[in-house]
Amino acid sequence: MSDQVPWDVVVIGGGNAGLVAAITATERVSRVLLLERAPAALRGGNTRHTRNVRCVHDTGDAYTPGTYSHAELWNDLCAVGDGPSSEELASLTVRESASVPAWMSAHGIRWQPPLTGTLHLGRTNRFFLGGGKALINAYYRTARKTGLTVWYDSTVEDIGVSGDRCTGVVVCRGQATGPAAGRTLIKARAVVCASGGFEANHDWLRRYWGDAADNFLIRGPATNDGRVLAALYERGAAKAGQERGFHSVAIDARAPRFDGGIATRLDSIPFSVVVNASGERFYDEGEDLWPKRYAIWGRNIAGQPGQIAYSIWDSAVNRLFLPPMYSPATAGDVAGVARALGLAPDAVTATVAGYNKAVAAAGFGSARFNPARFDPSRLDGCATVGLVPPKSNWARPIDTPPFYGIAMRPGITFTFMGVQVTREARVRTSDGGAFANLFAAGEIMSGNVLSSGYLGGFGMTIGTVWGRLAGASAAAAASAAREAS
Amino acid sequence: MTKGPLDGLFTEFTEAPLTEAPFTEARRQLTICNACRYCEGYCAVFPALERLSELTSGDVTHLADLCHDCRDCYTACMYAPPHEFAVNVPAALSAVRRHTYDEYLPRLPWAAGPVKRRAAMFTAGLGAILLLALLGVLAGGARAGMQGAGVPGAGAGSPYLVIAYPALLAAVGLPALWSVLVMAGSAARYWRATGGHGLTSPRALLSALRQAASLRNLRGAGAGCSYPGDEPSAARRRLHGLVAWGFACCAGSTVAAAISQDIAGDPPPYPVLSAPVLLGVIGGAGMVIGCGGLLLLRRAAGTADAGTADAGTAGAGSADAASGPPREDAALARRGYALLAGLLLLAVTGLLTLVCRDTPAFGLILAVHLAVVVACFAIAPYTKFMHVIYRFLALVHDSAAVAGNAARESGKSAGGGPRKRA
Repeated sequence: MSDQVPWDVVVIGGGNAGLVAAITATERVSRVLLLERAPAALRGGNTRHTRNVRCVHDTGDAYTPGTYSHAELWNDLCAVGDGPSSEELASLTVRESASVPAWMSAHGIRWQPPLTGTLHLGRTNRFFLGGGKALINAYYRTARKTGLTVWYDSTVEDIGVSGDRCTGVVVCRGQATGPAAGRTLIKARAVVCASGGFEANHDWLRRYWGDAADNFLIRGPATNDGRVLAALYERGAAKAGQERGFHSVAIDARAPRFDGGIATRLDSIPFSVVVNASGERFYDEGEDLWPKRYAIWGRNIAGQPGQIAYSIWDSAVNRLFLPPMYSPATAGDVAGVARALGLAPDAVTATVAGYNKAVAAAGFGSARFNPARFDPSRLDGCATVGLVPPKSNWARPIDTPPFYGIAMRPGITFTFMGVQVTREARVRTSDGGAFANLFAAGEIMSGNVLSSGYLGGFGMTIGTVWGRLAGASAAAAASAAREAS
Repeated sequence: MTKGPLDGLFTEFTEAPLTEAPFTEARRQLTICNACRYCEGYCAVFPALERLSELTSGDVTHLADLCHDCRDCYTACMYAPPHEFAVNVPAALSAVRRHTYDEYLPRLPWAAGPVKRRAAMFTAGLGAILLLALLGVLAGGARAGMQGAGVPGAGAGSPYLVIAYPALLAAVGLPALWSVLVMAGSAARYWRATGGHGLTSPRALLSALRQAASLRNLRGAGAGCSYPGDEPSAARRRLHGLVAWGFACCAGSTVAAAISQDIAGDPPPYPVLSAPVLLGVIGGAGMVIGCGGLLLLRRAAGTADAGTADAGTAGAGSADAASGPPREDAALARRGYALLAGLLLLAVTGLLTLVCRDTPAFGLILAVHLAVVVACFAIAPYTKFMHVIYRFLALVHDSAAVAGNAARESGKSAGGGPRKRA
């Protein structure tokens, strides 16, 4: 077996960060192996569900018109959640992001121009043609040309460590796992862990969220169970990020438990009122522009009883947001919608009536008396008066039948808690040191950058920036080890 | 539904399709697409989908014919099988296309119910060949032909040594006329069912012509087609272009010959350096290369669809070797083969006729070529040839809708519509 000859670099995980690391490594050393847990048809992990990347750009082009300065991206990053976890590493990520689009183009990624209506993301985020799976396919093609070896259906069960050196990985090939499955020790001169978070591991989530975790739907594949992360902790890696840190959005409660991706996301919230299981409102639906607020709603719903909430709107706004994948409940009155959703009709009717009154209380400034003021493309100031919590923008009466409603659950995109890394993407140890030849990139180290909030498209930025760093560092470590032997 | 000019010719059209199955499945998948929208950069289908407020059967039909089957959306789809959403838009839309190719054939005035496509096709093809044979025999042999045609100058290599000009005209013209009538009827029914508009707009027509001539929707926004496998490539668009432009050249060759003979009074055969021969040779060669290449691609696509890739091991791009479920309706795939084979036969026999025009085999080869021509003319409306008509109409409809949308957008302030997802 060839596993007696050590690989120069073994990359764990075949998503964006892993591919970028692997491609970077193949440009520097010859024997690079990528271990993808999924079968070929489902390769790419969470990256399959992504669509854009957020990068600093000092000049505009056809794909990102206008400029997006270092300072502006930094400020945007500081404004979400509790701000960056590590200023040093977050600032490095922002600085390095400027060269990411050119690197991606050079490695086979195609772009699409922002279309009409991309008022808030077209300037800051670059959209890749066809979305994340197309990007994954392009990277695998590039990787094939650079001589990367890929093993699909390959689950890494453990990391071999001796002192501060990683010796290799224990991999289980084929779809069978468990005690009966055949394990192989793969020797490696350097290892990059790009295996994602642990969001698909409900037992692990339950440690920090209790039973609420049972009601979390996972937007990516079930394979993101944190097995490699757990092995790293066991081998002495230092923790980074908050235990409850994650990127999560409001998704349709009927979405599958795993891998529902983008199509199950709901964008009705700023056009609706959102009530909990008791039929009461609990958060300002119009706090800020949707691209800046969509990422807080998973957490908002996770904090409600039963981890469920209901978005209710009327036909006046029905065509103003992306159509949901599953048909909404609909009825001629609010009570009918409440009944269809299994809510107490009186409670919901009272909530909507109170809301409508608070809209009317805004007088001539309100969307009710001045419909021209209602403008979803900006903070239009159409706010409720005397309502707690308020709806600060886009508040208009919900009074035009038929009415609609959808039940929503927290949809977890990825967890932030991972391993601490150095500026070279080296995994730090809990005793204050760092492994010599063990690196991490992507979601598994996103806790170094993100704390609790999320900025759309920044996960791909982290994956690409740190994939490059980890790939280059691993190649250098492998070359050094090869010369030493 | 408004009355069209051709309505009187055909029995009442009913909106209800024969079976709902392909529409139900396409609608299910397109609802997922409309909530995702990642593919909107590839072709005209997805932006068109996003403009629709609800999906009627006519809308689904329109989208199905707007689809050029480049399959980029399939390889880019994270919901493609084995994902439980099982999104396979090329397959779903090809099933709708096959259904509509059958459904929109005009009802015959003397027969109730839908046309049995295959029976009609064989009847028309056989009828055309019998007509050719009958007229050929009736009109007599070479001498009679020359006299009948009134082209005393017809020398060796002239078609009129084999069949008299009026007989030839009738043998080719009658099936062609039949074809044109059936196609017009199909087009009219299709246009009404899909709520088409834009045929009177020069801008929409021009835009559709430009897109058809350049096969823009096979470009994949520069990426090419994921056909036959998952590797994007320009091969299919180029080969398809060769077939289409080759076909146009051959049609041009016929027109040039008609002008030479009936206006310039110069009977065939024509010298090598003449418009009819040059156009015919270039067009024929284009069709042979194009059809041959597309047949090979189609065979590779069939193999790829059968799912042979060993996904477990091997190189980085092994999924690119294509595996997974079929991406085209099986019956439509067969019709695709048939169309390419028919066009190839047309081109090869045409070229042979030219090459052999000074040999004793000329008469036989010309007879075969003519039989192929009249049969193809007669059966065209029952074959996948109709994709030319339906797809062009879909492009006109789409161009008109795009222009209408742009006019509406510029008329109101920015924003308002659904925003792009983060």
